[in-house]
Amino acid sequence: MFASTRVLMHRQPMIRFIGKRSIPQQVDHAPHAHPASPDHTLPESFSSYRQRATSHGPLGGGQQRVASSAASVPSTVMSPYGAIGGHSAKQLGSVKPASGEFWDRSQLPKRFQRLQWSEAEIEAIESGGASMHA
Amino acid sequence: MFSRLLPRAAPRSALQAQQQSLRYVRASPTTSSLFHAQQRGYATPSEEKDLVIIGGGVAGYVAAIKAGQEGLKVACIEKRGALGGTCLNVGCIPSKSLLNNSHLYHQILHDTKNRGIEVGDVKLNLAQMMKAKETSVSGLTKGIEFLFKKNNVEYIKGTGAFEDEHTIKVNLVDGGETSVRGKNILIATGSESTPFPGLEIDEKKVITSTGAIALTEVPKKMTVIGGGIIGLEMASVWSRLGSEVTVVEFLGQIGGPGMDNEVAKQSQKLLSKQGMKFKLNTKVVSGDASGEGVKLEVEAAKGGKAETIESDVVLVAIGRRPYTKGLNLESIGLETDTRGRLVIDSEYRTKLPHIRVVGDCTFGPMLAHKAEEEAVAAVEFITKGFGHVNYGAIPSVMYTHPEVAWVGANEQELKEQGVNYKVGSFPFSANSRAKTNLDSDGMVKFLADAETDRILGVHIIGPNAGEMIAEGTLALEYGASTEDIGRTCHAHPTLAEAFKEAAMNTYGKAVHY
Repeated sequence: MFASTRVLMHRQPMIRFIGKRSIPQQVDHAPHAHPASPDHTLPESFSSYRQRATSHGPLGGGQQRVASSAASVPSTVMSPYGAIGGHSAKQLGSVKPASGEFWDRSQLPKRFQRLQWSEAEIEAIESGGASMHA
Repeated sequence: MFSRLLPRAAPRSALQAQQQSLRYVRASPTTSSLFHAQQRGYATPSEEKDLVIIGGGVAGYVAAIKAGQEGLKVACIEKRGALGGTCLNVGCIPSKSLLNNSHLYHQILHDTKNRGIEVGDVKLNLAQMMKAKETSVSGLTKGIEFLFKKNNVEYIKGTGAFEDEHTIKVNLVDGGETSVRGKNILIATGSESTPFPGLEIDEKKVITSTGAIALTEVPKKMTVIGGGIIGLEMASVWSRLGSEVTVVEFLGQIGGPGMDNEVAKQSQKLLSKQGMKFKLNTKVVSGDASGEGVKLEVEAAKGGKAETIESDVVLVAIGRRPYTKGLNLESIGLETDTRGRLVIDSEYRTKLPHIRVVGDCTFGPMLAHKAEEEAVAAVEFITKGFGHVNYGAIPSVMYTHPEVAWVGANEQELKEQGVNYKVGSFPFSANSRAKTNLDSDGMVKFLADAETDRILGVHIIGPNAGEMIAEGTLALEYGASTEDIGRTCHAHPTLAEAFKEAAMNTYGKAVHY
């Protein structure tokens, strides 16, 4: 036993116990190129989609919003990818529009916009769903 | 604010009973048009899932189980009718069954007398060998179905296609269609064999790996186009069972990218001893399968005299390509690169952040274990915000005999990168266990940083290489030095001692060689 202890003291292996694994405190969720991607770049569409998607609301980081409700939000708000995934929703502040700011329904994502009625849909409702089985 | 614009829950719930009854009956085009991209709340056929996975292969089913374990509401869509994808149904698993059993057959035929075993009349029962393969496959696929139930994964049998960014329309295997919405969507649709231009695959005379595991008789002559891992494994199976096998490879070495030059040469030598013929630096110019057999016109890759190879069966094993057909990716604007791989970022997200991609249909090597790692990481990114895959420590294994396995960089890559490295190796012919097994072809080879002794790559050719590489992968993952391995006690007598001695030979000297 003493002999093995002496051996262990003599040599310090590179592999060391570093304790239980934990999720890092700071994780940068801004999009980066995949490590196995051939050219190590992301296409332009990644930034353009995010810019469009974050053009309204707290994710967009409109200047007044960043200043008023999310002062602690660091630089990724200004990144080409907007703030998507970069920070928790809590950090980004309220989703309410600022005073004097109004959004048109057409500016919201498609799923929140008004839908057109189709003849088939009207018929389905009027027939209690029976037309769908016809 | 957005929530005020959503349809209220009450009217929706009133229609829930009706929705349930509608779920599996929608089949006519008229009715399905109602459920197009912009459907109203009342027509939503089921509750929104936290995660919808398209593809029930290794990447998809692992993600589904992991997501279920993490408490997500998850659905997995698979069109094959059986879970496990290519790997379990027509790839890794059935081929391993055939490799193992054909090796036993070959060994009984050729390698028993010197072991003191007298064997009588040995016959091949190919139908039974195939049945054994099918039993293994069906047992494993049913096992996944059980795991789905255990982890509350909804299994939808059908073909999925994007209806909109959050909705997947599914053509059910049993008829009819349904749609399922997901807060997150994971694409894990895998890959398919790359066809050879000018040769039509019929899976009888001109076959892919799928046909190669289901031949009903042993072909007298077989030609394999492509000397990569899949080609050589299948070539091994049919060569052992009696086929005269010729492997045609465009490159100057077998094994495909990643395999160390020295190991590839040794592997080719050993496979040639088993009866396989190799034509390296050779390209197939054209093929003709109109006759009874298949004729291939080949010539030297850099141009040269043409030659005709005639065979009963031609196996096309020139690689695999991502499979994303029918997903309707265009409708949501998802992009693929020039090789058909879906473009993702480091967290597996496409440009639409809630749609992720893992496995063969995106970047990285097309390996089942890589896909599994990515599946777990992708789910962890969704649930915990952090996942991990080390692309520098993904092992590769070729299950020929002897097996070939490697992890990390090979010599040619290190030379290209200008890394100052040292090499240490140990032959199995000096390993006691390999000697007693009368199975001592091959070696273990370490590549380590010349200055720090940190392991950069491990290459093994020899018995049990596929199992032994796990130790090398762990060492690489932990950033170990060869001395760490050399000073770790390995049981005697084991094949793993060759691993230790190769490490010793890298930073110092091996004892037994």
